[in-house]
Amino acid sequence: MAQQPTIQDRIADYLKTRLPGAHDLVLSDWVQTAVGWSHEIFVFYANWSEDGRPVRRGFCLRKDPGSGLLRELSSLKEQFLVIKALEPTAAPTPKVYWLEEDPSLIGGPFLVMEKVEGEATNPWSRAGKKFYAEAAKRGKLPRSFVEALASLHNLDWRAAGLDFIGVPGPGKDFALREIAKWESLIHASSKKPEPILSEVIMWLKANAPTVQRLAFVHGAYRTGNLMIKDDAIAAIIDWELQVIGDPMYDVAYVLSDLNREGSPLLSCVVERDLFIDYYQQLTGLAIDFDACRYYQVLYLMRTAAFWLSASGLFAEGRSKDLRLARTTYSVPVVLDMAARALGF
Amino acid sequence: MIASKPLFEELIHSLRNVIAPAIADPYPRTQAYMAAVILEFLSRQVEERSDIAAGRSRALASLFADLAKMPGVSMGNKAGGQHDDEARLAKLIEDLYAQRETIGEAAFVAAHGRVRRALRELLDLDLMIAGKSES
Repeated sequence: MAQQPTIQDRIADYLKTRLPGAHDLVLSDWVQTAVGWSHEIFVFYANWSEDGRPVRRGFCLRKDPGSGLLRELSSLKEQFLVIKALEPTAAPTPKVYWLEEDPSLIGGPFLVMEKVEGEATNPWSRAGKKFYAEAAKRGKLPRSFVEALASLHNLDWRAAGLDFIGVPGPGKDFALREIAKWESLIHASSKKPEPILSEVIMWLKANAPTVQRLAFVHGAYRTGNLMIKDDAIAAIIDWELQVIGDPMYDVAYVLSDLNREGSPLLSCVVERDLFIDYYQQLTGLAIDFDACRYYQVLYLMRTAAFWLSASGLFAEGRSKDLRLARTTYSVPVVLDMAARALGF
Repeated sequence: MIASKPLFEELIHSLRNVIAPAIADPYPRTQAYMAAVILEFLSRQVEERSDIAAGRSRALASLFADLAKMPGVSMGNKAGGQHDDEARLAKLIEDLYAQRETIGEAAFVAAHGRVRRALRELLDLDLMIAGKSES
């Protein structure tokens, strides 16, 4: 009986169609990373000969499994177009090669980009905390962390053609759009009403801040979503949550306790005072701490939406990943954080 | 929260079909299979905690009784089951914010404060399972 082609076989066959000058193409150093909650991520090298010369090139492939954390809110096509639009800008991003929406090729839509050399070390592990703490002492990485964020917020997003991702109206529209987006994920994920979340959402709607200046916002700017090489940000990765919106949305995420679990350093890598001073210097923006406190509650609501979606996917039988099941116990914990932030 | 029964079944399935077969070393592989067997027995031994469901019902009933005495507060439809009562509370919170100007700030603050007290009770009940262990 003929053996079914593996996903590696199918990807190698695909690359051959995309690299017609490549002969004897084989894949090596194959790794399926376990970090993606929305996509299956494969990192590998392709080796071939071209015009008699050996070629070796690293690739990263993100595949939509059809049951990702963000459900219908995740769009590989948008990711592809965003990374493509960022390519000629000062923002450090990987080079993106191809988008394939035909699920028959490897079992789901996917995009292929370059494998950026470096590490996106997980900051939650003991080794990760040590890695970032040591890098912080050397001083280069914390500044690079702020510079990469400023490169996004200083970007002329209209000139870069990024307005296709949606531009909020003036005033409170940005916050209200974000609330509506995450509310839609909650409704898609959970059949059981959650009154505590209702209270958090109503408070957010009633207290939405006015945006002073729209910027291109990453939406999850933290260590773990940044490729690091030689103590510098080689690439900002994980382009799933970007929006045109309030730059304080990213600043709030950096300032949040959510991303430093016991480390005195923001995002486990940068001193608070350095971040604030250097960010303001690079962007010319004054950090609005009231807006940041508001967005931190919005992040808690978003996190609750993520966990409801994850545990819902497991409960619906759409995923067997036990990491998703574990999040059922995270929902009350994050709601408790939101309730405390609101004073109850 | 996902009910314990289906969660046990998935854990057992994962141990038997994903984790154990991937372990090359015989001792930890046997341990993984044994963990699946023990979880199967354990799943028959445990029941969902009824005290938490009862606590939630009490907190909601007490809240609705108090709110009914507050003038101007829209109570929504009376329900019965726990999920119905939670849906009713979620709707009541939305209505409370929507009617804030109509009912006046003092009435809003009183009703809202009582609602938040009940929400804290519900949260504390969930945290009996999901909260960090004291040990």
